[in-house]
Amino acid sequence: MEKFLYRCLWLFVLGAASLSGAHAEDVINPAPTLKDWQALARQPDFSGVWTPKVSDQVAQEHTNPPPWRPEIAKQVQKMYADEEAGHPFPVFDHCFPHGMPSFMLVTHNAFELLQTPGRVTLLGEVDGNRLRRIHTDGRSHSADPDPSFHGESIGHFEKDTLVIDTIAVLPQAYLAVSEAVGVPNNGDMHIVEHLHLTGPDTLADDLEITANKLLTKPWRTTRIYFRQRARKYEIVEGVCQTGQFTDAVDENGNSIFAPVKFKNGVPVGSDSK
Amino acid sequence: MKSFSAPWIVCSGLWVGMTLMAWPAAAHHSFAVYEKNKVVTLKGTVKTFQWTNPHVVLWLLVQPAGGGEPEEWGLETTSPGVLTRSGWTRNSIKAGDQVSVEFSPLRDGTHGGGLSSVTLLATGEKLTASFAGGEKPGLK
Repeated sequence: MEKFLYRCLWLFVLGAASLSGAHAEDVINPAPTLKDWQALARQPDFSGVWTPKVSDQVAQEHTNPPPWRPEIAKQVQKMYADEEAGHPFPVFDHCFPHGMPSFMLVTHNAFELLQTPGRVTLLGEVDGNRLRRIHTDGRSHSADPDPSFHGESIGHFEKDTLVIDTIAVLPQAYLAVSEAVGVPNNGDMHIVEHLHLTGPDTLADDLEITANKLLTKPWRTTRIYFRQRARKYEIVEGVCQTGQFTDAVDENGNSIFAPVKFKNGVPVGSDSK
Repeated sequence: MKSFSAPWIVCSGLWVGMTLMAWPAAAHHSFAVYEKNKVVTLKGTVKTFQWTNPHVVLWLLVQPAGGGEPEEWGLETTSPGVLTRSGWTRNSIKAGDQVSVEFSPLRDGTHGGGLSSVTLLATGEKLTASFAGGEKPGLK
């Protein structure tokens, strides 16, 4: 009898799991209600344009480097040597998004944060198509999320802190400490962030990055951002590929982008011909 | 199994070709390519002010000391977003403007550099570029 009950329980668990899987695929996001919008007013206000503390990014390269595995540390040392010699490793030359966690770690540009019901969204400025979506609607991580540059982020508020759990970052996305030093995370990276205000217009992101293929232990670092209200600080469109072109007019009088000439990754001629 | 049509194959080839063409023209890089501890000053005429991400480029025509045709220099700096916050606009510099520039040169002598400032000779206005211009809240 006991065996039979265990079998029943097991079947029930399997059935529930399969039903919840089907439910997750078919779920319809509910339209936000007045109550949802009112609930936003009780969240800490992280909204607006934030500029990074670049000097601290640079300082932490030396004061708080990631605990690289020995074989990774060799790659990193070579990158520093190459940078010193004037031929830096091209971490972001491809114009792909920085991805996570580099989006938070090494950007020189501003980002804009939006708070809406069930969601916190970060819009980046440079390198095009930078978009972090942090779901705060109570959902769990997907069973098998598609890897992406920014991964799948699930967040919840603990008092005045937004806690964000990110998985499913593309293995090719760099764990970078600068634009010249970074290593692909190579998969299975897990990032936990605690986003909180340390002043009326100062935001801290405490990151704990677990990347077992690169690091001997989780790496903890804090990144600082400053809120800007002046309109000239609003983020602008930033399409990275346009940096490979300059304005021109073709033989038909049409406005076009004409490629510029590059050498070793830098522009050296306004006419590629 | 559906076979791929000729146009599809041609389009794919074109796309691959475009990708390969684009690759060497990489855009977003560290400024360690330039000699950061060396600053060069040059005067010239603006050919084009390229207001693009991730780096803005000032294309400058410089008359060589020994005479001859003006030589083109490609001087790049940070992005439109960062420069806007430092008071630049896409119209700050125009083709034909006479300017004096300060920059860190490429190490191999190629006519390029990392631009740190531009002075418009007609007005004396000096525009400077900094990556770390937003390290306080509530800037004006």
